[in-house]
Amino acid sequence: MNFSNLKYSFAMLAAMAGVMVSCSDNDDNDFDDSGSKVEMGNHRVFILNEGTWGMNNANISYYNPDKTGDVISDIFLLQNGVQLGDNGNDLIKYRDNMYVAVYNSNYIARLNSAGVELNRNEFASDPDLQGGIRSIKAEDGYIYASFYGGVIAKIDSNTLEVVAKLATDGMNLEDVAIEDGKLYVANSYGIIDGNYVYFNEIIVVDLRSFTQLPSFTVTTNPNRVMEADDKIFVISNDYSQESYVLQMIEPRKDNKVTVLGFATDMAEGNDVLYLVDSRTDYTTVPFTTSNRFFSYDIKRGAMNESSFLKDAPAELASSSVYSMAVDDETGDIYVNTTFYTYSNGDCYRFRRDGSMVEMFDCGGQNPRAMVFFDR
Amino acid sequence: MTKVKFLLGISAMSIACVQPMFSQESIDSLVLEDVTVTARRPSAKITAGTPVQMLYADNLSSLGVNDLADAVRRFAGVNVKDYGGLGGLKTVSVRNMGAAHTGVCYDGVPVSNCQGGQIDIGRFSLDNVEMLSLAVGQDNDPLQPAKLYSSAAVLNISTAKPKFNRGKNFGGRVEVKGGSFGYVNTSARLSRKFSDKWTGSVDGIFMRADGNYPFRLVNGKVTTTERRINSDITSWQTEANLFFNPSEDSELKIKGYYYSSVRGLPGAVTLYNPVSTERLWDRNAFVQTVFTTRLSSKWRLRATAKYNYGFNRDRETGNQFSGGVYKDVHLQQEGMLSASAQFVPFRGLSVSMAQDGYYNTLSSTMSECPFPRRFTSLTVASARWTPGPVDITATLVNTFITEHVRKGDGPDDIERLLPSVSVSYRPFKNEEFYVRGMFKESFRVPSFNDLYYERLGNVNLRPERAKEYDLGVTYTRSLGSWLDYLTVTADGYYNTVHDKIVAFPTTYAWHMANYGRVIIRGIDVTLAAAVRLPRNISVVVTGSYTLQEALDKTSRTTKNYGQQLPYTPRNSGNAGVTLAMPWITVGYSLVGVGEKYFMSQNIPANLIKGYIEQNITLSREFTAGKTDITLRGEIINLADAHYEVIKYYPMPGRSWRLTASLKF
Repeated sequence: MNFSNLKYSFAMLAAMAGVMVSCSDNDDNDFDDSGSKVEMGNHRVFILNEGTWGMNNANISYYNPDKTGDVISDIFLLQNGVQLGDNGNDLIKYRDNMYVAVYNSNYIARLNSAGVELNRNEFASDPDLQGGIRSIKAEDGYIYASFYGGVIAKIDSNTLEVVAKLATDGMNLEDVAIEDGKLYVANSYGIIDGNYVYFNEIIVVDLRSFTQLPSFTVTTNPNRVMEADDKIFVISNDYSQESYVLQMIEPRKDNKVTVLGFATDMAEGNDVLYLVDSRTDYTTVPFTTSNRFFSYDIKRGAMNESSFLKDAPAELASSSVYSMAVDDETGDIYVNTTFYTYSNGDCYRFRRDGSMVEMFDCGGQNPRAMVFFDR
Repeated sequence: MTKVKFLLGISAMSIACVQPMFSQESIDSLVLEDVTVTARRPSAKITAGTPVQMLYADNLSSLGVNDLADAVRRFAGVNVKDYGGLGGLKTVSVRNMGAAHTGVCYDGVPVSNCQGGQIDIGRFSLDNVEMLSLAVGQDNDPLQPAKLYSSAAVLNISTAKPKFNRGKNFGGRVEVKGGSFGYVNTSARLSRKFSDKWTGSVDGIFMRADGNYPFRLVNGKVTTTERRINSDITSWQTEANLFFNPSEDSELKIKGYYYSSVRGLPGAVTLYNPVSTERLWDRNAFVQTVFTTRLSSKWRLRATAKYNYGFNRDRETGNQFSGGVYKDVHLQQEGMLSASAQFVPFRGLSVSMAQDGYYNTLSSTMSECPFPRRFTSLTVASARWTPGPVDITATLVNTFITEHVRKGDGPDDIERLLPSVSVSYRPFKNEEFYVRGMFKESFRVPSFNDLYYERLGNVNLRPERAKEYDLGVTYTRSLGSWLDYLTVTADGYYNTVHDKIVAFPTTYAWHMANYGRVIIRGIDVTLAAAVRLPRNISVVVTGSYTLQEALDKTSRTTKNYGQQLPYTPRNSGNAGVTLAMPWITVGYSLVGVGEKYFMSQNIPANLIKGYIEQNITLSREFTAGKTDITLRGEIINLADAHYEVIKYYPMPGRSWRLTASLKF
């Protein structure tokens, strides 16, 4: 048989590309919309709305940034015919799929680029994992998940099978982040004799051997843990201080901890750490919240105290900010506010230069995480 | 001397023949000794300025109503939050002011719960209850303790007094019930007339149920049948009463009560996660004594004392707790003293005063528990004047509360003087038609949880204030020999709640706050009728309907401003028909609740569908020798409606119950 050289080259190229894609953890531009009940755009923003405890009203909503104002509330229900469940805690994008961790319903699901569920793994009947799944991150074909009860699970990113469990010496674990082959996990608190006891350590796990390495100390009650520019950033909800504490961990300097200041939430993108410090004055009636937006230049290691938002509407200065997210492709910054159980939250979309694009209802309660798909 | 003996048959009530006695009832004392009247009990206090409705236990059992929460939800204007199953929490909110504004009293003595601020009526058994009444504002007993004037509404539970058949000096009742989902209930009462002056009774009620009822779970397009788990309950209640009448003018009542239960707390249904391990142990004991005496034709006095002990232990397992177990224990104690006096200077005017003192404490295993001690003093002055066809009552309630804590800051003292006025007017001398109006200002204090719960509590909370306005008409009449009575009441009301105590969320931490303003408008209509048919058949019809709007008016900028509060149906109602025939009695009842929202924002995603629940009951009474026997069979939720009162706390579908009781 004779293959034309061109055809053969193309075939080889395609094969190599395929191999490169499956080996790389980088986002791909292939969308798999099979099973989708709606036409979706080339740019997609999926919003995980945590919902209210006990109301089974966690959902994933969809916003099309190209057709501003186009929001589908609860696209998960629309695509799959069933509800997401109770307490959506984390949503990440890995390769071509989305993964959602639903805490109180206690399961992880893999969705395609249109939000159609491909498979799931429910943990309610597993005594080790019964505490509830919290945070997920992916690396090398596996999802690493933290659970209340102190266990970290290593989950196959295709089959969602739990291939290994690590019982750490922590209790209720929160955010996880991956840097240089290691998993950094917040050991937040425990319930001992019916009372809340707060811890102050970050647990470190070696991913290759999946064993625990020495932990290190941070400010009490670490919750948010995020990797940016080869460093780890932690926010501890220390109720004894005037606000939450932002710390930078340098893995290359033996996990050196530097307190950067006070911040209640963070997001990274455009080589910048976007920050907000929300403070509530409990002496006024009703309580008043004031938000300070600022940023940290990670490369230069310098704090920029001025707001990264140019024309933020007045209400953003006092709303309850629940999360922030950056669309790496466009540089857009999203600031998401919540009204908790009283009503749906709002998303405020800004361009990279801080000018506002629009504000829209996020389609659910407590917008917790955002994931961006770009073709 | 005519003998009056109240016939406690299933049927009915004629206001007309007891009218003169009832209108005098609160002014002069009514010494019902040896008088016989085929009296019927009223379903509503027609003449009172404040709306008061009554339900009688034997009428309720002929309609298949078996527990207190099921009975209370049949009052107009009432919203019972029922968390499902026999062991589930059940709280009562009247005209949407919130459960903490509803006072509860048991045989004339107030019941409190300073820990949570609201009473779980699910724990009271209906077995030894004779009558329930619901008063908006307050009831018009001139000697009631001051506390019963201080709530926006009062639910009164009256237990059955000892009865002796056929001139005996002992009597009793034994009852056995069984039903679906492993329900067994046995109760016994023994009464003894020791002498002319001394009477006593002892009750024991044992109840258990598995509570593992099937329910339908709707998840998007998928509907499955699940079973409620960890929903069992076992409870034991015992009560002893002693009555001492040293003379015709005095009565001393002493009651001892003990309740103990263990139950599973199934929690809300969580999609994809059926695990439920929480258990609750409860123990409650109290002793109360009431002494009432008539000093002269113008003076009556009452003294009340009570000690109450409440204990609960909560336990849950899971690896998110250290050692795999979560435990907490709460202990509440209350001491109460009350003195009240009524002075009738002349016929048509009655002046009352009441003074209460309460001492409440809380201890718990929560690490930040400040072991609060609350002292409450309530003083009430009330006057009722009846010049001709008008009946006016004016009341002033003064509340003083001071609280001490072992650690941290305590709240400021509270001192409030609040009024209420009610008027009843009978425009036509020959018609039992009354126009009534009422205004009352009241408040509810923050509960211990509101003040001290770890990080959530806020010692700077102010009381939550309520204002109630009511305007209504009542009418009753009988017609010939066939219509024993027809009683209709209709009330329109307007209520406001300010400084509502809510868990206010902020980015930092949730905190209780006085944040909330609600405006409530509604109409309550009640109807009761009894018809006598040939062949010794009688029909009793009861019904009520409520139309209600309860809107959030807290902050104009929120998405839920002006929207209906959660769990507030616009329309709700109930009806009951009892057909009493010589050889069998048939009861049919229906409760209907319209759609409502389960969260603040009125959007389709937050809607709970309406439902109709129907019961059918067949009962037969007969006598064997000296014993009266009643047999009853009920089908509850005849149409197998699958519904929720609270979202994700499903209620049982169709079930059955059989009862056999012996009275001797």
